[in-house]
Amino acid sequence: MSGSQRDVRDTIKSFLVLVEKDAEFDRGTALFAEGLGLDSLETAELSALLEDEYGKDPFSSETMPQTVGDIVDFYDAAVAGA
Amino acid sequence: MIELLRRADPARPAVVEDDRTTTYGELTELAESVAAGMLERDITRVASLDHDAATTIAVMAAAALAGVESCQYPPTDDPAEIDALTARFDHDLVICREPLQTIRASATTALALRSAGSVPAEPPEARPLLVLTTGTTGTPRGVRQDWHRVLRGATRIKPAPDERWLLAYGLHQFAGLQILVHVMAAGATLVSAVPRRPREGLAAMRRHGVTHASATPTYWRFLLAEMRTDGEAAPQLRQVTLGGEAIPGPLLGQLRDTFPMAHVSQVYAASEFGSSGSMRDGRNGLSLDVLSRGDSADIAMKIVDGELWVRSRVGMLGYYGEPPVDPDAWRPTGDLVEIVDDRIIFRGRTSEIINVGGVKVHPLPIEERVGAVPGVDMARVFGRPNAMTGSIVAIEIVAAPGSDTDALTTAIRTACADLPAAARPRSIRFVDTVSMAGNKIVRRDTE
Repeated sequence: MSGSQRDVRDTIKSFLVLVEKDAEFDRGTALFAEGLGLDSLETAELSALLEDEYGKDPFSSETMPQTVGDIVDFYDAAVAGA
Repeated sequence: MIELLRRADPARPAVVEDDRTTTYGELTELAESVAAGMLERDITRVASLDHDAATTIAVMAAAALAGVESCQYPPTDDPAEIDALTARFDHDLVICREPLQTIRASATTALALRSAGSVPAEPPEARPLLVLTTGTTGTPRGVRQDWHRVLRGATRIKPAPDERWLLAYGLHQFAGLQILVHVMAAGATLVSAVPRRPREGLAAMRRHGVTHASATPTYWRFLLAEMRTDGEAAPQLRQVTLGGEAIPGPLLGQLRDTFPMAHVSQVYAASEFGSSGSMRDGRNGLSLDVLSRGDSADIAMKIVDGELWVRSRVGMLGYYGEPPVDPDAWRPTGDLVEIVDDRIIFRGRTSEIINVGGVKVHPLPIEERVGAVPGVDMARVFGRPNAMTGSIVAIEIVAAPGSDTDALTTAIRTACADLPAAARPRSIRFVDTVSMAGNKIVRRDTE
């Protein structure tokens, strides 16, 4: 599995462009509601895309990501633990 | 079967393969000599594997003549797979192309079984047959049949020795058996090309002057894609038959345009209930008449909660290892249907429904939409497991050569933008080929 912070952020950005959402965010940006405003199906789509790109999906982990930073940290932790 | 072989002109070609042609006379002779060998060895059940088409047919006819239950295995050279089949269906003897030493059951060849001994003039009353299901949703099951039932419609088939039928199905499949019976009953010629893929089928059509062909919608879609790619002239088909799957909307028109001299028909049949006949008017679906055939009909149909149910007195005797089925009992077919005007239109299989966060999504309408996007040669829609919603709609695309996949992704998303949110593809992958079983698209996650 690879997934540098920049790679993961780029993947999220390209996904947001694809689903026509505001692609400006930072680590603290919430994935839902007033943040990126992802609904359940968009979240499911992002999880599938991340799994395709990096072989693992943070939304299948015990703690569901709430922010962009949670996703980045998930891959950082996976790399550190590898 | 043997009666059909015997009554045809012995000099006529029965089976044309790339490396040889077998006449009806040669086929009959081989079948009778193998039947004599089976009788001498007191064989009662046998599996058959990996022959050329002519030998496979001869073994089937021999078994029917000797009252031996035959079972044609799907093509494989994997000993473990063969062992699994022999264990599952309790076969002690496998007739192979070459005597395999590495399988648990005994193995022999058709040639080794031949004998000059006598055979009965007429087949016995009991002529059992075991047909394996395709196994698109799991492990194949054994469907217990009888040749009397399989040959039921053969007497109604008129002689047509000039017809050359492509064998697009394997002879281990019920659909392949149906083609075989039709061709032999008509005294026509079967053209066999292996592997049974559209590319080889198209080449055989051109090389051997095929006039009639019956295949799944998926097979026809691939065959049309092959033709678009190679740019060569279309085979001069007189009959195009579809069956085994729901038919995507645009396909019938594409086939009519490509094969203007051909009658386009569809069949609805399954190893479990037999063949319900064919619709020859070139329109999609079944006529509503099939719902009012009455109690005396061999095959009756009804729709229950959007699924077609069948009551068949000419279908299977039962599944192998299970109690016999009641011929007067209604059984669900697993085919989802919808009445549109005066037709029953097939919408897919119950096993293909994708549950997206509690919303039921049918793959076929999505496949139809995506398949119509320029640059898409083939699409496969299936449910992909997902932690958020249980499943999402996933799609695999075979793109036309030279396509820009980014542009194609955008076009696919645009084509699906007005679908309900749960039905929009959430995972789009480009692949070289889509997963199939028995030349039908497998609409489940295969990873």
